[in-house]
Amino acid sequence: MATVTNWIDHLSASEVAGQVYPMVGSEMWWVLAGIIFLLAWIVSTANGEAEEQEKLARKRHGSNDYKKNIAEW
Amino acid sequence: MTNELTALTTIFTEFYYWMTVVLMFLIHVGFCMYEVGASRYKHHQHTLMKNTMLIPLVTITWFFFGWWIYWAFPTGPGIAPSIMTESTGLVLGGGFGANELANATNALMAVNLNDHIMGVFWAAFLLFSWTAASIVSGAVIERITTFAFGILAIAIGSVFWTIDAAWGWHFDGWMLKILGYHDAYASGVIHAVCGGFALGILAVLGPRIGKFTSSGEPRNIGPRNPWLVCIGLFLIYTGFWGFYAACNIPIFDLGPEYGMEGVTFFTATNIYVTPTTLSGITMNFLLSLAGGLLAGYWVSKGDPFWTYSGGLAGIIAASAGNDLYHPMQSLIIAGVGTTIAYKLHYWVERTFKIDDAVGAVAVHGYAGVVGLVICGFVLWGYPSSGYSVGSMWVGTDYAPINPLGMIIGAIIMFGVLGFLPGWILAKILHGMGKLRIPREVELAGLDYNIMEQAQKDERAVASSNR
Repeated sequence: MATVTNWIDHLSASEVAGQVYPMVGSEMWWVLAGIIFLLAWIVSTANGEAEEQEKLARKRHGSNDYKKNIAEW
Repeated sequence: MTNELTALTTIFTEFYYWMTVVLMFLIHVGFCMYEVGASRYKHHQHTLMKNTMLIPLVTITWFFFGWWIYWAFPTGPGIAPSIMTESTGLVLGGGFGANELANATNALMAVNLNDHIMGVFWAAFLLFSWTAASIVSGAVIERITTFAFGILAIAIGSVFWTIDAAWGWHFDGWMLKILGYHDAYASGVIHAVCGGFALGILAVLGPRIGKFTSSGEPRNIGPRNPWLVCIGLFLIYTGFWGFYAACNIPIFDLGPEYGMEGVTFFTATNIYVTPTTLSGITMNFLLSLAGGLLAGYWVSKGDPFWTYSGGLAGIIAASAGNDLYHPMQSLIIAGVGTTIAYKLHYWVERTFKIDDAVGAVAVHGYAGVVGLVICGFVLWGYPSSGYSVGSMWVGTDYAPINPLGMIIGAIIMFGVLGFLPGWILAKILHGMGKLRIPREVELAGLDYNIMEQAQKDERAVASSNR
């Protein structure tokens, strides 16, 4: 798992390897995981937003009704 | 780094860009405050969230492909050959190619002990991208869905502004070579393109309910909290210091860079690698702020919202040539740009029934376009690059700065890469029924449910005795 296990050995090599993060070489898989995470987030939040707004729209509140909900804490 | 002087220069450059990122963060803080201050009470929290969530959306997509586009597209592709690859295709190699530098799976796109610059340079550009999306955010408040805005934020923040940056804000960009385009501090490449993009969306999105009377006369929906708007705009001014510094390369020896034998000339340069000084642009920044504030106060008859916005419009109008202008030129250009932007805002509002809630199209779009056009006249004849000097339309070397090239450049920024994509994407989202919130929600307020729940919680807490 660890790319570097001894800093002295690593830095005294004739050519110091720059990439020191874990699992060097697996970048493509991490990027793919990031893309999937982003797409899932977009779909999920878009559905949630549409659902919430549909519910609120059905109640047909007036444009000043929010004033009775102003909390003063 | 084994040489002490090289190490010092590298670490200085790394820290320099890092500082610009920290400063530019304040632009986003400012935009959030400004937008919330301009929105009405019943929409506050959604307005804030909409602008906040562009941060992760643009950041992730900038990592995936936005940064890559910047390095790949300077040639068009297919318009003018790269000075590195001598080809008109996508710039993927040749020393500064996209696949060598900016591919999301590349060795430089992570902690790398052999590189100290890529991450901070990437981040500085990313903060420009946030600014791009945030400019659009203000114009569309109180009626766009967060989903639609997210898609549009990704489009402007990670696609369209980065294409225009590759074309006109890159030492190898085709617009420099063919048109003699010059835009040192992004009058066009950030501001005009985003103003145009916002206008394209607004044309499809429509005005807020109540903005216009039945006879079409506009009503003023003023900022609900002018103090928040004031602090927000001051923070944006503050962040602009970082923006200006980030547009420069802090230290560069231009002798060997330009191929001049035996010549050493260390200087700061702009993004085109032509010389300027941080000191000089600081003066110009302040004088253009002053010019914008004076003009904004004068033209709006002392209206605070437009006076502050005028300061910003002034900086934006002078930004294209602030690497070379005299401070008094910056002052006057800023004043002219601000006045025109203000007048155009109300003319467009009345004529086309465009409801730009915060004046973003005017402050960024119109002021940016005016700044580009004026720059073409004031800097007429200056070389657009230090690498070579040629003539317009040829494309194998660099055309000098000229009015026609800058006018065409302004049309490309505002119209081709701004308005058109904004309008098309908004049309698509509108066609899917995803662009605008339901009318009933707009009337009730986006925060209605949150406020109702807060009221219930408050009553429950107030009536509790344990």
